[in-house]
Amino acid sequence: MSEPQTHFRTDEGAVAQILDCDIAIVGAGPAGLAAGEAAAGTGARVILLDTFAAPGGQYSMQPTQGDSPFTDTPAVRLAREATARLAARGVQILTRAEVFHAAKRQDGSFRLAVSQQGAARVIRAGAVIAATGAMERPLPFPGWTLPGVIGAGAAQRLLKTGTGSLGPQGKTVLAGSGPFLFAVAQTFAKAGAPLDHLVEMRRPGVREALGLFLAHPSRLPEALRLMADLKASRARRHSGHMVTRALGTTCLEAVEIAPLGPDGQPGMAAARVLDGVGTLAIGYGFQPVVDLTTQLGADHGHDPALGGFYCQTGADGGTSLAGLYAAGETCGLGGANPARLSGRIAGLSAARGLGFAAAPDETAIKALRRARDFAARLAALWPAPQRLPLSLPPDELICRCEDVRVTDIRAAIQDGAREAMAVKLWTRAGMGPCQGRICGAGLSAVLEEAGVTAIAAGYNRAHLPLRPTPIGIVRAAMASGEWDI
Amino acid sequence: MQRQQVQPPGEAGVIILGGGVIGLSLALALAEAGLRPLLIEARSFGGAVTAGSLAGIGVHMHGMAEFHLMTEACRLWRDLAAKVGNPFEYNPQGQIGFILDQEGMESGEAWVAEESALGAPCRLLTPAQLREIEPGLTGPVLGATWAPDSATVNPFFAARTLLRLAREAGALAFEHCPAAALLSQGGRITGVRLANGQEIRADHTILAAGPWSQEIAAPAGVMVPLRPRQAQCLVGLRQPPGTIRHVVSAVERRGGVDAGYTQIQQSVNGQILFNTVITPVDSGAAGRDRINEVPASFVTSSIDMLVRLFPALADLVLLRSWVRFEAVSPDARFMAGRLAPEGLWICAGDNGSGYCRALMLGRYLAGEISGNSRAGLAPDLVAQARALYAPARFSQQAA
Ligand SMILES: Cc1cc2nc3c(=O)[nH]c(=O)nc-3n(C[C@H](O)[C@H](O)[C@H](O)COP(=O)(O)OP(=O)(O)OC[C@H]3O[C@@H](n4cnc5c(N)ncnc54)[C@H](O)[C@@H]3O)c2cc1C
Ligand SMILES: Cc1cc2nc3c(=O)[nH]c(=O)nc-3n(C[C@H](O)[C@H](O)[C@H](O)COP(=O)(O)OP(=O)(O)OC[C@H]3O[C@@H](n4cnc5c(N)ncnc54)[C@H](O)[C@@H]3O)c2cc1C
Repeated sequence: MSEPQTHFRTDEGAVAQILDCDIAIVGAGPAGLAAGEAAAGTGARVILLDTFAAPGGQYSMQPTQGDSPFTDTPAVRLAREATARLAARGVQILTRAEVFHAAKRQDGSFRLAVSQQGAARVIRAGAVIAATGAMERPLPFPGWTLPGVIGAGAAQRLLKTGTGSLGPQGKTVLAGSGPFLFAVAQTFAKAGAPLDHLVEMRRPGVREALGLFLAHPSRLPEALRLMADLKASRARRHSGHMVTRALGTTCLEAVEIAPLGPDGQPGMAAARVLDGVGTLAIGYGFQPVVDLTTQLGADHGHDPALGGFYCQTGADGGTSLAGLYAAGETCGLGGANPARLSGRIAGLSAARGLGFAAAPDETAIKALRRARDFAARLAALWPAPQRLPLSLPPDELICRCEDVRVTDIRAAIQDGAREAMAVKLWTRAGMGPCQGRICGAGLSAVLEEAGVTAIAAGYNRAHLPLRPTPIGIVRAAMASGEWDI
Repeated sequence: MQRQQVQPPGEAGVIILGGGVIGLSLALALAEAGLRPLLIEARSFGGAVTAGSLAGIGVHMHGMAEFHLMTEACRLWRDLAAKVGNPFEYNPQGQIGFILDQEGMESGEAWVAEESALGAPCRLLTPAQLREIEPGLTGPVLGATWAPDSATVNPFFAARTLLRLAREAGALAFEHCPAAALLSQGGRITGVRLANGQEIRADHTILAAGPWSQEIAAPAGVMVPLRPRQAQCLVGLRQPPGTIRHVVSAVERRGGVDAGYTQIQQSVNGQILFNTVITPVDSGAAGRDRINEVPASFVTSSIDMLVRLFPALADLVLLRSWVRFEAVSPDARFMAGRLAPEGLWICAGDNGSGYCRALMLGRYLAGEISGNSRAGLAPDLVAQARALYAPARFSQQAA
C-alpha cells in the first residue's frame, strides 16, 4: 500500500510533547495531592495531572470566582496549600489535562497519553498512581430525564465552582440516599441557595448514630456541623421517603414522593406531590472511576459498600500490576480522609518501588484502617440501593445517548443477554458518547432485577480513548513512537 | 417463544460449539432442516469477533473462485432481511473501492472486468462520478470501483435475530457454557464434555469456535491449522446522516487482506467506523484471550486514511476502539466440512469476512449433515463448496 500522507487541517504533522518523570499521578483530589507530596518528598520527579482547572478534586473543588463563598473553606484551603507545597518541591502540575490512554511497556515503564487544552502530551513514567476518584451513580426513575433533574453531585459542583446556576424558577428538592446529601445541603447553605425539601430514603436511628460516634468520636464535630447546617437551611425533611416520579411536560414542574414500607418498597397509597419544583437534585451514591485501572488490566473487585467495582490494592497501595498504584476512591468510596491517607501510602510505596529512600508510614497505614472502618460503618447505615428502588415503566429511558428503554433491556435479557457486555451489544445501551458512565448503574439494576448479579454482569473494561478525544490529538500522541512495546 | 431450559440435555443429534455468527447460522440452518441442534457458547452469543465486525455483505473483491457462493451468501442475507422484517438493519448501501495510485487502478480495473464478466453490476467511477455518489470523499483519488449491491447488517442485531429464529425453529442454545473437551470412542467423536463436567452425546459435533476451534480439537488428536489474527476498529462520535453514504474500502491488492486494507462506514446511528491496516499484527495464540489495545501504528494509519479521504472529518472525536481475533487458515479460505474422525465437523477460518459467508455456510453444512438436499445449497454450489472448503485439503498437504 502506498504511503499515506497526512492532510491535517488542525494539526499538520503534530507530534505530542514528551514529558519525563519517575511517578505520574492521575487525579489531583485529596488522594493525588497527598500522593504527590509524599512521593516528591523522597526526591522522585513527579507529574500530577487533572482534568479540572485547578487541583482539589471533588472534595476540595476550587471556585472559579474570587468573591465566591467557597474561596476560604477548610477544604478549599487545604488543596490550595498542598498545591503550593507541591509546586515548591518542583512537582509539575498539569491542569485541564485528561489521560485518554495508558500502557505498560515490556521494560516495566508506563506511558500516558494526555489531552490538554487542544494539545497532546505523552508522559513517560516509572510508576503510575491512579487517584481518579469517584463519579455519580445515577439510578433511573420515572421522569429522570426531564430538564431540571440533575445529579446531587452536579448540583454541588455548580454551587462550589460558581460556574452555573440551578433552575431559576421554583423550589429546590434534594433527594436520594446517604450522608452525602448532608454535604450537599451544607453546600446549598454556604452558597446561600435556598433548599426547600430534603427527601431521604433512610434516617439512621439515634442508637445507630451513637454506635458510630462511640467508635469514632473524632468524627462527631464534623457530623454536628453538617446537621446544624442542614437545620439552618430550613429544608423540610422527608425521612424514609423516596422520589417516585419527576413530573412535568417539557421540564420539571413537580416531584412525587412516597414513604417506604418495611419491604423497602414505596407505599404509593400515601404518595404525595411537591408542587412548583424547579430543581430536583438527586443522588443514590457514587461509583469509583476505574477506567484507567481497568484499561491497564489491574484486578478489580466488587462491593456495593464501596460503590460497586473498585481497583484492588494491597496494604502498600499497589495493584495487581507491578508499578501501578491506586489511591483514594478509585479503590472504593470512603471520602476525603481515606483518600488522603491512601494517597500518602501509595506515593511512598511508588517511590520506594523505584529505589527512592522512603520508609513506609506505619501511622498512616493504621490511620487508614480506622478511616476505612468509619467509611464502612457509614456505608452500612446508608446502603446504596442496588436494584431500581421502584419498578420502571417499560418505556422509561435508560440510555439517553442511544435512546434505549427499559423494555428493550428486559427483552435483550430475556433473549439471552446475561452480562452487561451482551446487553450493550444487543441494545446499544452504553455505546454512545457517555460509554456507559451514565446508564451503567441503571443497566446493572435491570440485570439484577432479572437475577444477574453485578459480579456476573461484569464491568466494561476501558480502552483507547478513556474519554472521547479529538482524532488530531489521538494521532499526535500515538505518532510519538512511545507505544511500541 | 419456547421457555428456555436451564441445563443442556444429555443427548443431541448435532451439537455446535461456538455461538458466533457462524455457530448461530449453523443452528438456524440445522433447525430448519429438522435436526433440533444444540448450540453451546462459552460466553455471550455473538460477543467475540462477531461483535467487533463491520459486517459488510458483498461479493466485490472476494475473488473469482468463490463468486457464485458469495452471490448466494449475499442473497441469503437479503432474503432473510425481507422475510423477517429486517430487524438487523440490512442496508444495501453499496460499496466504493477507492483508488489512490496507478497500481490500485490496475487492480480496480481487473476486479471490475472479472466480476462484471460473471454478471455483477459493478463498474469503475471517475473522480467526478465518485463525487456524485459519495460527496464527502474529496480526497485525492484517481477513481473508484463501485459495487451498488454490497450491503451491511448490524452485527449485534443480526446475531440476536439468528438466535431467536434458530430457537423458534427448534434449536436449543446455551450461553456461558464453555465446552472443555471432545468425547471420543473407538476413533469416533461422540460428543462433548462441558467445563462444568456435564457430558453430552451427539451423532455430529461441529467446531464453530473461530480461533478457539483448534484448542478444543487438539486434545482429541485433531489438528486444525488455524491461527488467530488480530483485527481492530476505531469509532468516532455520531455525525449527521449521509456524512458517509456507502461502505468505503481500499481496492484490494491481489495479495488479499494481508496486503493491507481500509474499511470506512457510517453506522445507522451515525457513528463513523474506520480502520486501515497497513501490516497486520500477527499475535501469538495467547493473544486471543487477552483483550489487547489497538496498536499505535494502526491508530495513526486509520486516522490518516480517514482524513485523507474525508478531510471534513479532521476534527472528528474518537469514541472507542476495539480488538478482536479472526481465525486464519493457510489459504485464507474457510474450513467447512468433515474432519478426519467420524462424527466431527468444522466451520471456522473466517479470514476476516465470515459475516458475509455465515448463512451460506450454515446451509451448506446443514445439507451435508442432514443429507437433506432441500435444506442445503443448490447442487452446483454444493460441488463448489466441497472443492473450496474441504478441511481435508490441509491434511493432504501435511501428509
Ligand atoms: C460529585 C461528587 C461530589 C462530592 N462531594 C463531596 C463533599 O462535598 N464532601 C466530601 O467529603 N466528599 C465529597 N465527595 C466524595 C469525594 O470523592 C471524596 O471526599 C474525595 O474527593 C475523594 O478523593 P479522591 O482523591 O479519591 O478523588 P477526587 O477528589 O474525585 O479526585 C479525583 C480527580 O481525578 C481526576 N481525574 C479522573 N480521571 C482522570 C483522567 N483520566 N485524567 C485526568 N484527571 C482525572 C478528576 O478530575 C478529579 O479531580 C464527592 C464525590 C463526588 C463524585
Ligand atoms: C473490525 C472487523 C471488521 C470486520 N468486517 C467484516 C465485514 O465487513 N464482513 C464480513 O463478512 N466479516 C467481517 N469481519 C469478520 C467477521 O466478523 C468474522 O468473520 C465472523 O464474525 C466470524 O464468526 P465466528 O462465529 O467464526 O467467530 P466468533 O464470533 O469468534 O465465534 C466463536 C465463538 O466461539 C466461542 N467459543 C470459544 N471457545 C469455546 C468453547 N470452548 N466452548 C464453546 N464456545 C466457545 C467464542 O466465545 C465465540 O463466541 C470483521 C471482523 C472485524 C474484527
